[in-house]
Amino acid sequence: MPRTVELTRVYHFSAAHCLSNPRLSPADNAVLYGQCARLHGHNYYLEVTVAGGPDPLTGMAVDLGVVDRTVAQSILEHVDHHQLEHAPPLAGVITTGEGLARAFWQTLAVALPAGRLRRVAVEETAKNRFEYRGEA
Amino acid sequence: MSGTASTTRRFTFSAGHRYHVPAWSPEDNERRFGRLTVPHGHNYTLDVTVRGAIDPRTGMVIDLGELKRIVQETVIERFDHADLNADALFRERVPTTENIALAVWDLLAPKLGPDRLARVRVWEDPTLFVDYDGS
Repeated sequence: MPRTVELTRVYHFSAAHCLSNPRLSPADNAVLYGQCARLHGHNYYLEVTVAGGPDPLTGMAVDLGVVDRTVAQSILEHVDHHQLEHAPPLAGVITTGEGLARAFWQTLAVALPAGRLRRVAVEETAKNRFEYRGEA
Repeated sequence: MSGTASTTRRFTFSAGHRYHVPAWSPEDNERRFGRLTVPHGHNYTLDVTVRGAIDPRTGMVIDLGELKRIVQETVIERFDHADLNADALFRERVPTTENIALAVWDLLAPKLGPDRLARVRVWEDPTLFVDYDGS
């Protein structure tokens, strides 16, 4: 019975965003989101956790190169030094930490090898952390 | 109603390793592992999590001094400033972060009890860690 480990890779990107629900008026958005309705930015950390059993020969549960390339191409290239509201993987997403974590999960669940994704976490600041787990 | 608490203690060790399958030619190792076949090292961080009931007398899940002594004697003295590939634990397997996590679990589970040991987390560097919880 192979044993399963969870491997987590930590990525970084810097991006601008402003919280806004397009269904609300500017005045209501300003009340709802306060200072977060203004354009501002963060140094984000993105944690991607994948699961698998270490290969008996190579000792690797996943090919980290594949994970790195997938995350870079499907997410980081679109968000690093961009405004999140303009990033294609985040079309229609209210860019709260929770919203980002869920959107990144949905992107990676399709882009990574099937059934491997276990958790996506977004750290917006050192004080704000968000996790999302969907159906693998 | 008896809940379960957990305690996590952090340790560090610095060790050398390389990704290398002895059965493969140098070219095959190079092709598969790239720069990882070259001996190199890391400052590893190890988080050991122990779970259990809070002892009504001590107010503790585990005496952190006891946990520290066990991990120090069992893992840190063995791996700190060591060549992991030369360790008998890695004679049959590459000392990847995945396999180091499994090896640390196998060293600690008999000392702490597999029911008390909740998780080991091995950080190879600040961008990569592997968790194993006995499953």
